[in-house]
Amino acid sequence: MDLPETLISKYVDPWLKKIGSAISIIWVILMAIIVLNVLARYIFSEGRIEFEEIQWHLYSAGFMLAIAFCVITDSHIRVDVLHEKFKPETQVLIDLYGYLLFVLPFVVLILIYGVPFVLYSFETGEVSASPGGLPFRWIIKSMILIGFGFLGLATISRVSRLLAFLFARYR
Amino acid sequence: MPINEILALAMFIAFILLVFSGFPVAWILAGLAMLFTAIAIVFQVDFAIPIGVDWSYTSLTVERIWNVMENWVMVALPMFIFMGLLLDRSGIANELMTSFAQLFGRVNGGLAISVTLIGVLLAATTGIIGASVVLLALLGLPVMLNQGYSAKLASGTVCAVGTLGILIPPSIMLVLMADRMAMPVGDLFLGAVFPGLLLGGLYVAYIVCYGLAKPEVAPRSDRVEAFDFAALKKLALAILPPAALILLVLGSIFFGVATPTEAAGVGAFGALCLALWKRQLSLPIFKNVLQETTKTTGFIFAILIGATAFSLVLRGLGGDELIERALLGLPFGPIGIIATILFCVFLLGFFLDWIELTLIVLPLVAPVVVGLGFDPVWFTVLFAVCLQTSFLTPPVGFAIFYLKGAAPPGLQAITIYKGVWPFIVLQLIGLVVIFSWENIVTWLPAQAY
Repeated sequence: MDLPETLISKYVDPWLKKIGSAISIIWVILMAIIVLNVLARYIFSEGRIEFEEIQWHLYSAGFMLAIAFCVITDSHIRVDVLHEKFKPETQVLIDLYGYLLFVLPFVVLILIYGVPFVLYSFETGEVSASPGGLPFRWIIKSMILIGFGFLGLATISRVSRLLAFLFARYR
Repeated sequence: MPINEILALAMFIAFILLVFSGFPVAWILAGLAMLFTAIAIVFQVDFAIPIGVDWSYTSLTVERIWNVMENWVMVALPMFIFMGLLLDRSGIANELMTSFAQLFGRVNGGLAISVTLIGVLLAATTGIIGASVVLLALLGLPVMLNQGYSAKLASGTVCAVGTLGILIPPSIMLVLMADRMAMPVGDLFLGAVFPGLLLGGLYVAYIVCYGLAKPEVAPRSDRVEAFDFAALKKLALAILPPAALILLVLGSIFFGVATPTEAAGVGAFGALCLALWKRQLSLPIFKNVLQETTKTTGFIFAILIGATAFSLVLRGLGGDELIERALLGLPFGPIGIIATILFCVFLLGFFLDWIELTLIVLPLVAPVVVGLGFDPVWFTVLFAVCLQTSFLTPPVGFAIFYLKGAAPPGLQAITIYKGVWPFIVLQLIGLVVIFSWENIVTWLPAQAY
């Protein structure tokens, strides 16, 4: 379904798409680090705990940012058995209500409770529990805020486009 | 029934109904968590009925998200997705199809057998039903139809084999299931090997028998090239790399030389080398593979997060005890309870994808099953086979929809239905066999490490 671009989406969408393309490189880096870690373990017979932690740092940054990317590219999984048969207006209305009533409140909840979660980690100077692990746990924890912040932006952009579609239709 | 349990029930029903609106499943789950938290607060504040679910309870989702983030095992998920997509684009499937067709061309049903073998070899790495059904439909369906196969047999084979892919390790469904069941991914992978091969074997046996009984539905190729040494070499060159890759991944888990995460990373590296070696990988294709990996990872984890919030609120409302009481209250005995669960999963699989069922239903029923003393790996494999059967079953099997979308125009839904039912019977046979002989599942993991 083609939705009209809006003032918001013209700025937000290309930007989030760029981030989406940029973070896709994470999977190659992740793969390389895993392979290196395995090699290191067999050649120098020591696996490094930092390497394992870098792996999940990369993976979690990757998936948190990917979620907003999926909203912009509209690639979140839908059950389209009935959906395909609805009129375009109905489909747009469903999405509009869904984003406004279901997604935005969820984003707000995670952001409101995510801020103290990250702040606590920052203030206590939380580090990895395992010896040799990575410091600055708050950096990776703040990916929750960044990921959901982007998700909020993507949702607002999407909502603006859905509204633009409806206004154009019922002018 | 206390008010909180009514709410729990309503939440589950609301989910099933809202899924049909076609709004993304991840957000329906998350949104319902928000909605029912709000409802619980209303009951608490306005009617003084304490329910114990409020915003600060639901905000535990933040901590659960963090648990997913720091879960090293789950790193395997994007790596397997990456590996599957690379194999998809590496041209191996086409090569396999021509070689197998040459080998089996002289047998009635040879092409259908080829599709089955390719499905077992390659779909093993995709793990997403839609992807493997579409791949096999584009690859095998036109070839079979051109050679005069009955559309029923051709489409039935593609559907069945395409769904088998989610069961055969290394599959991302099994990674998620193992995570939810808190069992080692390796155990579940190894447990699923023989059930997967059993089902694949049943398919091949059926196709061979059908081809013998009714040669006209699955004709031989009339211009078969001689099967000589050159052809054999070509076949070996086509089969060996992907087979070696999958054996490498499973073998390193079996012998304990690598964790599933490492096996996935190394597997992705192997797939990358393979694609480069076959000269199938240009920069635009590679970029596309990476972006698809991001998208697939994104939507799976969105559902994971949504399901986390949903399950949290459902548990807060007492949904867990409700299910447990209902199941244990059944007048059947342990075997009957398992059968009931599997039947419900089969029904739910009509309209929910494996991701939702794995994330929401599996953790709900697992404690009951384990409490009854059943082997968790065995049960999870049964759960997986049951899901796979349900995706095949009309009127709303996922596989059928994907096939309809990817098939040449002219292919009627009713033809697919007719083609698919023998495979459903085979699935049920497989299910009964696995149900009756637990060893099929538990033997291999017991030998490992």
